[in-house]
Amino acid sequence: MKGLTRRSLLAATATLPLFAVAATAQSSELTYAGSGGGLAQVMDILFDKPFEAETGIRIRAIATTDRISAMRAMMQAGNPIWDVAELTPVEYATASIEGWLEPIDWSVADPDNLLPEEAKLEDAGVAATFSTILAQRTDMLPEGQQMASWADFWDVEAFPGPRALQDSVMENLEFALIADGVSPREVYNVLSTEEGVDRAFDKLDEIKPHVAAWWSAGAQPVQMLADGEVAFTTAWNGRITQLRQDGIPVETMWNGGALKPSYVGILKGTQHKTEAEQYIHFMIGDPERSAEFAAMVAYPGMVQGLYDHLDPEVGRELPTHPDNMASQFVVDAVFWARNMDALQERWQEWLLD
Amino acid sequence: MMRFGERLTLLPAALLVLAMFAVPVAFVFAEAIFTPGFSLAHFDRFFSRPVYLSVYLNTLVVSAVVASICLVIGYPMALFIVSQPPARRPLLLFLVLVPLWMSILVRTYAWMVVLGREGIINGALQWAGLTDGPLTLMFTTGAVFVAMVQILLPIMVITCYSIMTEIDPTLVRAARICGASGLAAFRKVFLPLSMEGAITGWSVIFILSMGFFIVPALVGGRRDVLLGNMIVNQVGQANWGFAGALAIILLVSTIVLLGLVRLVMGRFVYSPREAQA
Repeated sequence: MKGLTRRSLLAATATLPLFAVAATAQSSELTYAGSGGGLAQVMDILFDKPFEAETGIRIRAIATTDRISAMRAMMQAGNPIWDVAELTPVEYATASIEGWLEPIDWSVADPDNLLPEEAKLEDAGVAATFSTILAQRTDMLPEGQQMASWADFWDVEAFPGPRALQDSVMENLEFALIADGVSPREVYNVLSTEEGVDRAFDKLDEIKPHVAAWWSAGAQPVQMLADGEVAFTTAWNGRITQLRQDGIPVETMWNGGALKPSYVGILKGTQHKTEAEQYIHFMIGDPERSAEFAAMVAYPGMVQGLYDHLDPEVGRELPTHPDNMASQFVVDAVFWARNMDALQERWQEWLLD
Repeated sequence: MMRFGERLTLLPAALLVLAMFAVPVAFVFAEAIFTPGFSLAHFDRFFSRPVYLSVYLNTLVVSAVVASICLVIGYPMALFIVSQPPARRPLLLFLVLVPLWMSILVRTYAWMVVLGREGIINGALQWAGLTDGPLTLMFTTGAVFVAMVQILLPIMVITCYSIMTEIDPTLVRAARICGASGLAAFRKVFLPLSMEGAITGWSVIFILSMGFFIVPALVGGRRDVLLGNMIVNQVGQANWGFAGALAIILLVSTIVLLGLVRLVMGRFVYSPREAQA
């Protein structure tokens, strides 16, 4: 310890801030809060690396869950450590209502005007879409039959076999109403009334004894289908495509599926707003790149011309393909952001009952 | 009395606990009482809706049952290890500890493989012709107990073992010389001296169980909801106030219950160190 004098220590600490300043000035870096896993690997190849090569801006992608609480903590601290975040419908609606997102300048994020209006919100863009659909093990179906509607899922006489649903009030109420004869377009009109909610829960009463498992993570229905633990379950579409490629006999039912956009937003207070808008353009505004992305992860964006660059075989498996789009409904993020708390409580009571 | 210099050695740990635990917890608690303004609305919600009380009671029952099953299985295991020659004990302890190194998630998924409809147990039963169709083992309360006990059992074994090694074996020998049968010597001398370890193990497992949520979510049925699951749920919906209230209720009731356990059991417990003194 002899060599370390007080003076040398002082000198060392004095130079530290200089290094720090130099580091921030030269490296432009964006922190992207995504979901990690396979999606992040695909994004790294298709978006992050080419974006850095083109602009010199490095993307630091981090795997996150529970982004609402994290964002709330950042906003309370007044210091966002993320620049851009991927958001589920309810996360987006909450963040938007709370004012946690920067308004996006679409002249930077979509200069060629290739995105449809519904993909360009004031404070977020639609990054990708995915659907909650009904997945069925075809080898566990009655000979020569297949479920074609939510009414079939409810029909335990015609389609015997263990079932699973997500432990989530969102979407299950919608599915129940569709099974009860409500048209997918009318679902939220019915749900916004007290009687509509009662009607959905009454319909769910019918199926409750036949549901073996209530899943909470997206990997669970995949695992349960693969193991034969259940024959019919709701699941996220991309994972079922993947499961079929792995050789498990599963079929997707698009009719009455719940289409959910995933949003990308810029956090309020970021130091890199323009860079973030450039990145969003790179991510969601280029038909060719979006088609490549959709081919790899099955969660397509909404940019015009995407399906022109996509193998029709692949396109048919995707939620925004014209054939699949028609029979689905779009999850109403704002309805759920407003009503989630009360309905979740009722759902919990209903499950324990 | 400790000298000032000795107390100073605790300072880094105390600062760490203060900065990394006490302060954040205080923020969470403040959130429960002050969002939006000062009110006990979150607590009122908890006590006025039956769903929360029933989840709360379920959490207490599951934790107590899991801790008790661990005690019944773990205490004899520790006793067996202590009775072995000292050279063999490290290997046995190693075998007890191995599962602790695996993540809870991995072990829970392993139970899904064992208990599933096409899992190992159902496969074996049907192969042996004991059952015609698959039994429902997964997504049941039983599956929650099995998985939690398997995860927490090593803690009980280790706690009991460490107290048992502190018991002076000559005390038991003295009892035998004075004419006590083997069983009586165990019951009157060894059991009371090892009680401290048993109660500590039970308490630690009870505390840990109170906070479990992954296991019931993955292998339990729709009624197997613990308070931990509720907190996760509320945090996910950005209801920090209510989540904070649930966390306070969990913490306070755990402390009160453990205090009661200590108070009642304190009469029956003799520390091996006391016996030596």
